[in-house]
Amino acid sequence: MSVAQTTVDADATALPPLQSFLTDFWAAEHLPDSARFPFELALEEIFINVVMHGSHGRDDVWTEVTLRHEGHDAIMVLRDNGNPFDPLAAPPPDLHAAMEDRTIGGLGIHLIRTLMDEVIYQAIDGCNVLTLRKHLEESPAH
Amino acid sequence: MNVTHDTNNRTTTIHAAGRLDFEAAGAFQKDLEQAVADAAAGGHALVLDCAALEYVSSAGLRVFLVGARAAKASSVPFAVYSLTAAVKEVFDVSGFGRIIDVLADRAGALEKVGRSA
Repeated sequence: MSVAQTTVDADATALPPLQSFLTDFWAAEHLPDSARFPFELALEEIFINVVMHGSHGRDDVWTEVTLRHEGHDAIMVLRDNGNPFDPLAAPPPDLHAAMEDRTIGGLGIHLIRTLMDEVIYQAIDGCNVLTLRKHLEESPAH
Repeated sequence: MNVTHDTNNRTTTIHAAGRLDFEAAGAFQKDLEQAVADAAAGGHALVLDCAALEYVSSAGLRVFLVGARAAKASSVPFAVYSLTAAVKEVFDVSGFGRIIDVLADRAGALEKVGRSA
């Protein structure tokens, strides 16, 4: 099992370094490129949500990202000390609304729930903890 | 993200390449809104070439939605084509194929906007 962890301030400028952190872990673990997209997407959607909403009126909010490679599973844990928010409790988006009535609200978490095998929200010691797991179809190169 | 435009046969093509994420969305929205306004003024159709678009998030989807709405409001024929696997997956899961014309290739897109040869 391999683990990597990083912590950043909840500021949108931290998104590119977070994506590099994910890409570097993927390369170091020889994980299949084709399986990286759902993790990149989840990282952006959840982190930006913390930046836009979770740190409303505060400047002390951080997000900790932990990546794990366990057997044939990749696991990402996003932990933040922002305002309590369970994204899984949000109402699902209306995917059949007409163009004029469509909104983007809820689409990010809908994408994540669809593309990941498992998404779990926990409130632990005043932090939001989201655990995302996906089985990797291809065997690692090593 | 890298965006280029070209116009011929009364059709403007936007070639979108790279990552359409939260960081890139603001600039691309301005680009797309300007292209819609120019196409409306010139009586052009607008097609979006996504062959080199590697990544789109919900922030990027919002730009597609804003662009498609602007095109519809201005009566500019609008279609997107050549989606990569990741972008197509996002469109499928989001149901965006029901509100935006998505074609497999350029020929299909040109036919959809009424500019086939």
